[in-house]
Amino acid sequence: MGDVLQPSTRINLEKAVVLVLDDNGASLDILSQVVSGFGVKQLYRAESVKDAQALVKTKTFDLVISDVQMPEVDGVEFIQWLRREASEPNRYIPVILVTGHTRKPDVLRIRDAGANFTVAKPITPKVLLERIYWVAREERAFIECPTFVGPDRRFKHEGPPPGTDGRRRDDLPAEVGDAQEPNMSQEEINNLMRPAKVQVS
Amino acid sequence: MSVRKFHPANRLGAMIKQKGGMLVQNAIAAAEAGVESLREASLKSLDDTLTEMEARFGPKADRSDAAFEDLYALCLRIVDVAGFASETGVDKAIMSFCNLVDNCAEAGTWRWDSVDVHLDALRLLRSVGAQLPPADRANMLEGLYRVSGFRPGES
Repeated sequence: MGDVLQPSTRINLEKAVVLVLDDNGASLDILSQVVSGFGVKQLYRAESVKDAQALVKTKTFDLVISDVQMPEVDGVEFIQWLRREASEPNRYIPVILVTGHTRKPDVLRIRDAGANFTVAKPITPKVLLERIYWVAREERAFIECPTFVGPDRRFKHEGPPPGTDGRRRDDLPAEVGDAQEPNMSQEEINNLMRPAKVQVS
Repeated sequence: MSVRKFHPANRLGAMIKQKGGMLVQNAIAAAEAGVESLREASLKSLDDTLTEMEARFGPKADRSDAAFEDLYALCLRIVDVAGFASETGVDKAIMSFCNLVDNCAEAGTWRWDSVDVHLDALRLLRSVGAQLPPADRANMLEGLYRVSGFRPGES
């Protein structure tokens, strides 16, 4: 994540099946034009969560780009449904949320929705393509637990904050303790590096 | 609490690397050209929404039953297309307006003087924002941010 997308990089989205969801027709048109410009041939448009759910139930997608603020059912609820109730493999597809303005009560909801990235409107092709490139190279693990389903919300592997024990089995303590064994000798290190014949039976 | 941690197949990752396709610079250029074709319709949508805002929430409107959600939804409609008016400052002013309406909704009370200031500023910026000296436009936006408590980069 975070790689700079070079102008000379080659990308191939011709076979990608993409769903774009936005209740505002003007915004949906902009999103669709951008995605089509990237070479996507199979683009499905939905103007409501209900329409999007119907499409997800009948087609297999490679990417979802969804607006957040929509009347009745919003983009956050749609992603929560996708992550928990949609069939595989759609349940695990990369999701990019786009939001015009984030209301205070929505900050945590969006963080916990289960999307891979959030992009601020008005979108620009450069930023959106960069995020698509990032989700295509996504290395974060997918987490499923009662309170969250989606890509790991931690981007950095810096362990838990100092002074806390962490909540996961693979969380290492922030402080490095004393060595538990004596240092290896130079000969032991050399032996590790020395080429050796291997018997293949 | 059980936690399942795994790496599902990333089909997008596999296909984006396949032979063929296009250069990133060409993809961005094609997308920008496609978006540009929507400029006229998008600016009309912006102007129509601004007119609706003034009619429903301006000083001459009956604001006794005004709903926070309705004005917020109109603000978002402008945000959606504001990229086409970025040279005017409308894209920044509308974010300030969103923040103001959000604050009003949170407090449960309208600040009509602040709403009026934003409506006037949006109309002015839309009309002559592109011709204003950059420093004047920046000062105007800074004034809106003070009224709404908006801090660019946080929303």
